[in-house]
Amino acid sequence: MNMWAARADDGYVLGGLTKQCVDTLRGVPMLVESNDSRVRERLLPDTYDGAEDEEQWREHATPELERLFMSRLQIVRKDLASLRQIEDADSWAIYLPDTHVNAWLASLNAARLSLYALNDLEPKHFERDGDVKCTQKQMEALWRIQFLAEIQCVLMGDIDDLETDEDEDDGVDSGEGEAEAGGDDPLYDGPIPPVS
Amino acid sequence: MTRSPRAATQEKTKTETRTQTAPARPWNVIVHDDPVTLMGYVTRVFMQVFGYAEAKARKLMLEVHREGRSLVWSGGREQAEVYTQKLQAHHLLTTLEQADA
Repeated sequence: MNMWAARADDGYVLGGLTKQCVDTLRGVPMLVESNDSRVRERLLPDTYDGAEDEEQWREHATPELERLFMSRLQIVRKDLASLRQIEDADSWAIYLPDTHVNAWLASLNAARLSLYALNDLEPKHFERDGDVKCTQKQMEALWRIQFLAEIQCVLMGDIDDLETDEDEDDGVDSGEGEAEAGGDDPLYDGPIPPVS
Repeated sequence: MTRSPRAATQEKTKTETRTQTAPARPWNVIVHDDPVTLMGYVTRVFMQVFGYAEAKARKLMLEVHREGRSLVWSGGREQAEVYTQKLQAHHLLTTLEQADA
């Protein structure tokens, strides 16, 4: 993979994407929408210890969260439609507007969490020096998780100019409307930071 | 024997006053560690959701990373639920616990 990233006037251009990268990006919505119980439990986790409180939460908060996830995926799908193959090259490029960054960051995180859950991965699988055996499927999932993390790193750019949810009117973060900071060349330049 | 209406009113007033001033136990918003979410992303979400300065957000993120969980906000239940929903909207593993009496 030889991905590069560059700032455009009001967004990011990601290029050098291989077919595997493109397939992984196109798979993001399906991962987030997965009905697998492991994915649903992680993306919509238990919030309260008490059964009654949890039932109330499931009745009121969970549907709002699901709607938010779906609205973000609409943005992601719209951008995925802009994937273009570079002429005379076996690579693709995509343009991601600044106003879509929040939706992308959250959806990428959800997709990475889904891959982790669906492939029975464990923290030990992320240890770089560990001697952990992985199946082929797990190896592929780890690659996809890392690739999506690289995209997140690019999109996080400069954290200093971040807008806060306090500036928004509605309750739940809409995932839209955030103007991401932009220097001239916040290019992706190397190793992925450690996970939390 | 019947108590006078005035005495009954005084007792009711006392009872209401006691009820209104009883301290409410706050609700704690707890973020738990997960092996997938990027540290920078967690910091960013804390800044975005709470408006925390980067130093405070990073400190809380490191607490999640090192201790496995962090109390990121405490207060009234309604606001705690709003924050919890926002954190879950960003896919941070978040729960709500009522503080000990």
